[in-house]
Amino acid sequence: MDLTTTKIGAATVVAAVGRIDSITAKPLEEKLLGVIQEGPPALVVDFTGVDYISSAGLRVLLVAAKKSKAAQCKFALCSLQPAVREVFEISGFGTIIAIHADRAGALAAAD
Amino acid sequence: MLSLRNDPAEIARLAVLVAEFGVRHRLPASVVLHVNLALDEAISNIIAHAHDDPGAHDIAVRIALADGALSAELSDDGREFDPRAAPPPDLDASLDERRIGGLGIHLVRRLMDEVHYRREGGRNHLSFAKRIG
Repeated sequence: MDLTTTKIGAATVVAAVGRIDSITAKPLEEKLLGVIQEGPPALVVDFTGVDYISSAGLRVLLVAAKKSKAAQCKFALCSLQPAVREVFEISGFGTIIAIHADRAGALAAAD
Repeated sequence: MLSLRNDPAEIARLAVLVAEFGVRHRLPASVVLHVNLALDEAISNIIAHAHDDPGAHDIAVRIALADGALSAELSDDGREFDPRAAPPPDLDASLDERRIGGLGIHLVRRLMDEVHYRREGGRNHLSFAKRIG
């Protein structure tokens, strides 16, 4: 799992690349909670490079979404691959986490 | 029959073997992906919850193609646990009300066409299958 953090306007974008499973969920959680603690108005996780996510990864995103809300940070995901999108849909995450088709859409909503 | 250690690193190793099995038998990528995800969830649960001691335990895995389905059988010596009896997560809960956890078993049940469990010889035997096409 590779994580790259970029600041674009008001938003902090974390681009993830690789598998998100019970091993790689930990560095992802540390990264996202670290960003939220810095207090950005918006946090976008770019899933372009993610081809696999298990419930360990879903758990981290749910924790990050809850903490973001408490910190008044707009939390969103973008660019989900079809296989990952399917897991999100089965898990009912589409209704509790903002999901955008691409990064531009996520950044526009973050402004 | 494959023997895995109760170590999360074994899951990615197994995923590669299942993917190779899929290529060899020309299985649809989605079938292989779903079975791998179900295996990941079931094995992660065993590693996290099945044993009270921190010692090494074997998890036996068998992958098979039969009756137009890709099936997987898991056996472990942990405490008795029937995943079919676990309560489903509340998918309609709001973000604040949504509880953390319980999604792994939900994914197994939703992604697989069949899930079977039995307790035999002091071991859990979990099997599941995904139809091809």
